[in-house]
Amino acid sequence: MIEVVDLTKNYGHLRAVDGVSFTIPAGRITGFLGPNGAGKSTTMRVITGFTPASGGKVQVAGFDVAREPLEVKRRVGYLPEHVPLYEEMTVRGFLGFVAGIKGIARGERRSEVDRVMDRCGLTVMAHRIIGNLSKGYRQRVGLAQALLGNPPVLILDEPTVGLDPRQIAEVRAMIRAFGGEHTVLLSTHILPEVSMVCDGVIIIHRGRVVYDGPVPDAGKGGASLEELFMRAVATDAAGREEETGVRKEEEP
Amino acid sequence: MSGIWTVCRREFASYFQTPVGYVALGVYALICGMAFVLSLFMYSKVSLQPPAYGYTSIPNFGEALISPYLVFCGILFMFLSPLITMRLLAEERNRGTLELLLTWPLTDRDIVFGKYLAAVGMLLLMMPVIALHLFLAARFRPLEPAAIALGVATVVLMGLALISLGMFISAVSRSQVVAGTLTFGVNLVMYIAGNVGEKLPQRNPAPEGWPETLRVLIGGAWELFRGLLTQLPLDAHARDLTLGVARPRDVVYYLLFAAFFLFLTFRALESRHWRGK
Repeated sequence: MIEVVDLTKNYGHLRAVDGVSFTIPAGRITGFLGPNGAGKSTTMRVITGFTPASGGKVQVAGFDVAREPLEVKRRVGYLPEHVPLYEEMTVRGFLGFVAGIKGIARGERRSEVDRVMDRCGLTVMAHRIIGNLSKGYRQRVGLAQALLGNPPVLILDEPTVGLDPRQIAEVRAMIRAFGGEHTVLLSTHILPEVSMVCDGVIIIHRGRVVYDGPVPDAGKGGASLEELFMRAVATDAAGREEETGVRKEEEP
Repeated sequence: MSGIWTVCRREFASYFQTPVGYVALGVYALICGMAFVLSLFMYSKVSLQPPAYGYTSIPNFGEALISPYLVFCGILFMFLSPLITMRLLAEERNRGTLELLLTWPLTDRDIVFGKYLAAVGMLLLMMPVIALHLFLAARFRPLEPAAIALGVATVVLMGLALISLGMFISAVSRSQVVAGTLTFGVNLVMYIAGNVGEKLPQRNPAPEGWPETLRVLIGGAWELFRGLLTQLPLDAHARDLTLGVARPRDVVYYLLFAAFFLFLTFRALESRHWRGK
């Protein structure tokens, strides 16, 4: 469903993503891990068509992001990292607006907005102004707008950051339920989250893929995800310690 | 097409979800009203005693009252337009919502035209005030309905150009404040340049004794400079239009001005594709 081939992205002289390739089959939930500044958000931004790639190819559902961005955007629901929203709008007003943009027919908009609000537990907040919502509810609004129109692909950039434990559990359960129906790429810093929610995991470090495979199952005597992550990140970093901190992710 | 409309509706509604829309409309109506009343008083004083004010007879109603008032309305929009345009794209960038806008199934055309039309909607909301004033004026002296329409259309034309310029500046700015200040500054400089240009002497500034070729060169450059100063500012082409003289070149000037900065706005939005590659 998502096919990334030899993707590179430079910000000036900084190479944020350096030859990343992976494939995510339809209906799978894939965790996207990496230390800060590894290139996770940049990769996600390229897949969603927000940032153009410097090199390589990205295909979503068979459509090339660079050549047919509109076709890709119609099939991708995206939750950006800091959940930008139109603060002055009400939840329902905002979701109705997004539904219009996503081309949902006028007659079906209301029921579609009701559906995602119900799914994200926003129904009680329908008439509140977004700017007055708590962080947790903002996150849900972000998720709800991504879900509108039921896109086959969901790209979620740190969906549980800043939530309280109960909300984290709820959002995880929600994402878990997306499996099978949606193809999900989920970035996070919380390793147990990946073990709980994801079918597969991709670890990137310094703009390169260092692990791409199933979520390791510590119960069967193998290495735990944490060990795997630490090893993957350490092997590459050992020789190039002087560079640490340089490769920070930049806002485009 | 539906994308343009959806973006436009949200943008337009958001003017009134914040105080911006009310403030812009209110201030515009207030100042236009004051300007109209004051010029009407002035005109009635002059018509009672034309010689005292340097006129030989009662001055022409259109030339002495309506046209200057309409030009003023356009110039006033020049100073209020930053309020309307500064947020258009700078705020999306500042709040990060540009990331949503550019990852939703929208084309650049939907975004740019949608936002432009929303700002034009604000401009059109201001026009009934002017139309009302012209209508009131028509009660004192008969005014051609066509002249009233052309007068309002002139202010709209100026507005179209100003909104386009403001939107471009908003597209290249990171914050609303920078965009607003810059737009205001550019408009002010343009206005001042026009006034300076009109006061510049027409004759060749090169001294008589200089060689002929040099004099011709300097004269040509001077003409060009003076022409730019007097013809480029937005209010320069409004005067004849408000008098009811609809020359195509004046109308085309405003439309070209608007089209040029819309074009630049597209390029500014597109620059994400080639910047930092």
